[in-house]
Amino acid sequence: MIPVECPSLPPQGILGRLRKYARVFRVSLIERMTYRADFLVSTFLRFLPMLTTILLWQAVFAGAKEYSGATDLSGFTFNEMIVYLLMVNISRLFSSMPGLAGGIARDIRDGSLKKYLLQPIDMVDYLLAYRVAHKSAYIIASFVPYAVLFFLCRGFFAGHVPTDPITWLAYAASLVLAFLIGFFFEACVGMVGFWFLEVTSILYIVMTLNFFVSGHMFPLDLLPPFWANFLRALPFQYLAYFPAVVFLEKVQGAELGWSLVQGAAWALVFALLSRWLYRIGLKRYSAFGG
Amino acid sequence: MSVLMRYTRLLGSLSKYTLAREMAFRGNFLVKVAVEVLWLAILLAFYRTVFVKTQNVAGWSEAEYLFFVGCFFALNGLIETLFLENCNDFAELVRTGDLDFLLLRPIDEQFLISCRKVDWSTAPNFLMGTALMGFSLFQMSWTFDLGRIVAFLVLFVCGLLIAYAFMLMLTSLSVWLVRNQSLMEMWWLFSSLARYPKEIFSRTWAEPIGRFFTYILPILLVVNVPARTMVKALEPGLMIFTLVATVVAMTVSRWFFRKALRAYRSASS
Amino acid sequence: MAEPTQDDPGPIISAEALAKTYRVVQKKEGIGNAVRGLFRRSYREVHAVDGVTFRIEPGEMVAFLGPNGAGKTTTLKMLSGLVYPTSGQARVLGYVPSDRTDAFRRQFALVMGQKNQLWWDLPAGDSFQLHKEIYGIPDEGFRRTLGELTELLNVEKLTRQAVRELSLGERMKMELIAALLHQPRVLLLDEPTIGLDVVAQVAIQKCLRDYHERRKVTILLTSHYMRDVEALCERVLVINHGKLVYDGSLDHLADRFGNVKLVKIEFADGRVPEGMDRFGEVARQAGAEVHLKVDPARVGEMLGAILDQYTVADISVEDPPLEQVMARVFQEEAPAATSP
Repeated sequence: MIPVECPSLPPQGILGRLRKYARVFRVSLIERMTYRADFLVSTFLRFLPMLTTILLWQAVFAGAKEYSGATDLSGFTFNEMIVYLLMVNISRLFSSMPGLAGGIARDIRDGSLKKYLLQPIDMVDYLLAYRVAHKSAYIIASFVPYAVLFFLCRGFFAGHVPTDPITWLAYAASLVLAFLIGFFFEACVGMVGFWFLEVTSILYIVMTLNFFVSGHMFPLDLLPPFWANFLRALPFQYLAYFPAVVFLEKVQGAELGWSLVQGAAWALVFALLSRWLYRIGLKRYSAFGG
Repeated sequence: MSVLMRYTRLLGSLSKYTLAREMAFRGNFLVKVAVEVLWLAILLAFYRTVFVKTQNVAGWSEAEYLFFVGCFFALNGLIETLFLENCNDFAELVRTGDLDFLLLRPIDEQFLISCRKVDWSTAPNFLMGTALMGFSLFQMSWTFDLGRIVAFLVLFVCGLLIAYAFMLMLTSLSVWLVRNQSLMEMWWLFSSLARYPKEIFSRTWAEPIGRFFTYILPILLVVNVPARTMVKALEPGLMIFTLVATVVAMTVSRWFFRKALRAYRSASS
Repeated sequence: MAEPTQDDPGPIISAEALAKTYRVVQKKEGIGNAVRGLFRRSYREVHAVDGVTFRIEPGEMVAFLGPNGAGKTTTLKMLSGLVYPTSGQARVLGYVPSDRTDAFRRQFALVMGQKNQLWWDLPAGDSFQLHKEIYGIPDEGFRRTLGELTELLNVEKLTRQAVRELSLGERMKMELIAALLHQPRVLLLDEPTIGLDVVAQVAIQKCLRDYHERRKVTILLTSHYMRDVEALCERVLVINHGKLVYDGSLDHLADRFGNVKLVKIEFADGRVPEGMDRFGEVARQAGAEVHLKVDPARVGEMLGAILDQYTVADISVEDPPLEQVMARVFQEEAPAATSP
């Protein structure tokens, strides 16, 4: 707003000025509160699961110590566990794709898929560009709440923030992989809509299962060795588990390099698969006349 | 005919027709049930993993803890069956203005809005939770005690009503916060407080938080009190407090909901 | 608070200087503005309804006309108690609508053509049953009313079919039945025929007319289709920019605003002579026929002159179509409300 001098008004005393600004402040505050309260409410709510999770794990570690004197669970100390669970949120910030598969399936079902056929644009590329833009905006918007969260939890990070630039580089790469695998995997699920109308239900099952198999719930290492190895061989670990353990420097050296290559291979597989599914799906789609 | 009779009959019809609708999309129904079964399996896998490493969590043995999980599952299942979908629709009703039609009906708005549909797909959760409670009682070779069962049932209903009151208040917010996240998500986040035994709030900094959510916003009472009544030593003070909290929560939430509707009507055109 | 006035033959609906003003957020384009919008929002005051006064007597059937955004729907919502008036007062059936007592809500119905009140995935019959429970309609009365209405609308066979499978017209008929099941004394209809084809429109009109005759229910309807209005209503209220610009009979509306007559002339020699524009504005000219817009006061003089100078095969004088009249009404600056 441009301040405008109002010559017709009588000069105000300091008190009058203060009152005026107090009024402006109050009105703006109320306005901002009512309309941005949704932001505050959701930020507050988002902290709750983290809070209860920390407390639950604390109780678990206390119980384990009392039971067997162990101060770690499958190599994770309490602090490492909390750092892991916090970092998993960062992984998911990159790898979760809300509305992607559902959106593709809906476009197929209601025929708005035609817009990609009529315009000189490839659907997968378009969605990828769109998603990168939205993700960037979302990650930037999430910066403050996460900064606050990590600040509050700074005690857990003591000694667990990597100092090796290689680790940071690998961590960045693992987040990119999380995004790519997350995107192309969900795109593949969405393409299933060419064959089945009800994709949302499949998606629910996939997402529920994903919560467990990606290591979002707890580190895969806690599982019995057979299951831990099995889940680590699947691509889903890259969506949550892998970036977090890279950050914690639990994978290093040759193993780290090999895991990154493997992740890149998974990303490529899903990228090719989604395009292939799109191509044959489209053939089927036009055969039915849309 | 009493008002209660009329509302009971109406609830009966509503559940009948929603069941008919649900059965028209049987595949969808089965998938939703499958997701819930899967979710319970994941939870059990998680706690099994945990209890391999320890004998008790926050003072709850594995069997007791399973009872707690079963109680949460049953209670949350009922909440989802009866209220969650309705409350989740509320934001959409506000956005599209279809709320108008519900306000025209000669019937209590709170009843019509929060009980309009019965989400049968989550009803099996109640059964699964009950089965899990039964299984855990069997595992800890619980001695039959009718008094406890009655107290448990009363407090279970109290827990249900307190949770409903909170959900109604979260729902009412969507009149003012038009662009908020879905109520499903909000509820999931908020109910995470009720998901664990209240003893986990034991660190020095966590204790005030635990007390806050027990005595001020009593969400911690919801699952904890009925579950403790059944498998732990009786705490008459806490039980009475829960009864009082139920009445207060229901009253406050109703007042808040009506305020929200008033705001909706002044804002709409 | 007023008691329902059963024996008082006064107006069943009345509005006194009814007004509704609300604020809307002004959104601007661009990322910069979106960010700024987080901190400061600009508002615009909208006077949706700006001091409207009218009365409707029991048993009347009144049309409420006006362009989009004129305030029709807002007025209907204030009359049904959904929206609080910013100022002024409404009375319906003796109640203040915004009190929304059960007794009031039991006695009226609102149907909106663009909205669906029935359960989408269930047969309409099930929605009717729910209505019965909600309004507490006794079994006997319910069966009789339902039978009567399904027969009137000729949809006996469709009540067992899922609503989503019905055509738009059939669905509208079901909406109408649902609204009439509890035998409201006041029926508010917002665009009841929107999007319907002519056949369905006529069917809805016929049903409303028959029902109105049978039950003497008071009906206030808005519509964009002048056909609805012509078929149903003798009295019209015209609202524009939130103000009532006309309240009176439909015929009178044409006189007051459509102050031209349409003169259609067919010439016997198969062609239209030169210089017709000296008699009036030429609206259309084709073959031997010409349509002239003429000031009503000059029609007699003009007809005399034409008949003197030319051989005419056919001649007629008509009022212009209502659509054109309405267009003129809305173009005019809002004059003060006039009594019939």
